[in-house]
Amino acid sequence: MSDPPKKTFVITRFDPDVDEVPKTQSYEIAVDPDWKVLDAVNYIKDEVDGTLSHRWSCRMAVCGSCGMMVNGEPRLTCKDSVSQYGDTVEITPLSNFPVIRDLVVDMDGFMDKFKKVKPWIIRAKELAAEDGPVRQSPEELEEFKQFSMCINCMLCYSACPVVSNEPEFLGPAAIALGHRYNVDSRDEGASERNAIFRGEGTVFSCSFANECSEVCPKNVDPAAAVNQAKFNAVIDWATGLVLPSGEKE
Amino acid sequence: MARPAHPQAMQPVKPGRTRTAPPTMPPQFPMTGRYRAYTLFDATGFLYLFVGFVALRVVWALGTGSAAWASIQQQLANPLYIGFHVITLAAVCFVAVRFFGLFPKAQPPRIGPAKPPPGPVIVGMLYAAWIGITVLMSAALMGGIS
Amino acid sequence: MKQFLLKVEPVIWLLFGQGIMIGTMLLTGWVLVMGVLAPLGVVDSLSYEHAHGLASSLIGRVVLAALIALPLWKGAHHIRSLSIDFGGADRDTELATFLYGIAAVGSLLAIVAVVRL
Repeated sequence: MSDPPKKTFVITRFDPDVDEVPKTQSYEIAVDPDWKVLDAVNYIKDEVDGTLSHRWSCRMAVCGSCGMMVNGEPRLTCKDSVSQYGDTVEITPLSNFPVIRDLVVDMDGFMDKFKKVKPWIIRAKELAAEDGPVRQSPEELEEFKQFSMCINCMLCYSACPVVSNEPEFLGPAAIALGHRYNVDSRDEGASERNAIFRGEGTVFSCSFANECSEVCPKNVDPAAAVNQAKFNAVIDWATGLVLPSGEKE
Repeated sequence: MARPAHPQAMQPVKPGRTRTAPPTMPPQFPMTGRYRAYTLFDATGFLYLFVGFVALRVVWALGTGSAAWASIQQQLANPLYIGFHVITLAAVCFVAVRFFGLFPKAQPPRIGPAKPPPGPVIVGMLYAAWIGITVLMSAALMGGIS
Repeated sequence: MKQFLLKVEPVIWLLFGQGIMIGTMLLTGWVLVMGVLAPLGVVDSLSYEHAHGLASSLIGRVVLAALIALPLWKGAHHIRSLSIDFGGADRDTELATFLYGIAAVGSLLAIVAVVRL
């Protein structure tokens, strides 16, 4: 049996107690062709350099923890096989995020934006349990289901050039989630959210690069959500002009 | 190393307890991979702005009189103008193709009771409109319509 | 100014969107014939009388005004976008005001141009 193939992983390292700026460190290891990229990173941490820090959890692309830039593209490292990469693999922390250490980025900015869009069902009057369930048809579900599949992996934020440069911009996942609720037939909070969508962090900052949808591992298509949200925000604005009290329906 | 992102990009409202390294832009931005088409798409803005003002000059000349009209026709024959218009024509076609591809998914699932037609139908309608309007405009400008 | 820009954003977005859609559709034939084929002599350029007759019809005026004005909004919005992508967000309010100002002035001139035909 021939020697297992070797690959060199060039990984960004940053220890805030020691390093002024991030630097790279190369690890040449034998790889099992069945490995995902995450398996290689875990091997490096377990067997070669225990100081390497990275996030991971489910290993099956549902938790959204293991996002990193692999050869310049934001990827879920548990999804990509090492075999799809060449002899040298560059792994850096997700773009557009402040870096806490090594491959671990600060997620709190993302959580802040999330909270702004009020990602919950808003009812004008809360129903009592005695009123029974709210009914929703399969057609109504289809209108927003895709946008509910987000696993908050933040790859879309890494890919978006507007997130890079406009700190206030709500960003793909947050807007997609807000839109998911706006379109949900059970929700009555669209006016509230559309006001948020048109405020600081406006959805209109999106320049339709479509990169968010290109990198999304769950086919949520946040670009569709954001651009649909623009359209809905305009309709909301226009009806607001005609009905000054802002009443919807 | 990738170019730096805005220093405040994705910064939390409440700073963390340790010093963080500043955010960097996606390394493929602006002219590698898919970003190239996107950057070019935005850059066509310069051509659109310019061609709008050139069209303004042409229509203004038409309103001024026959001498002004003859003069603007002559100016448009300058190789620089022709070169600009050739590049702009390519840019306009590029914008159309990219935009028509993205347009269907930007339609909300429903406006009131109305649902938009399926994606491929929308794209077909857009291309049909584009070709139809181009043929009409070209025919008019070539003297075929009076 | 920043708050004003946020308030009028839906209008700007609509003009920009139509700048791409209608502007692109109108521009293609115009650039092809007026900008390339006629100057090159591949086709005859329109006589003044014919051009003026065509342009001064109601539909001619509307089409020409749209052909001039709508691309300006697409252009302004995309140049603003490009500036932000290259790190210009901190100057965005000033640049946006300048760019949309140009588009607005151009649009007004477009209306004047077709009215005075």
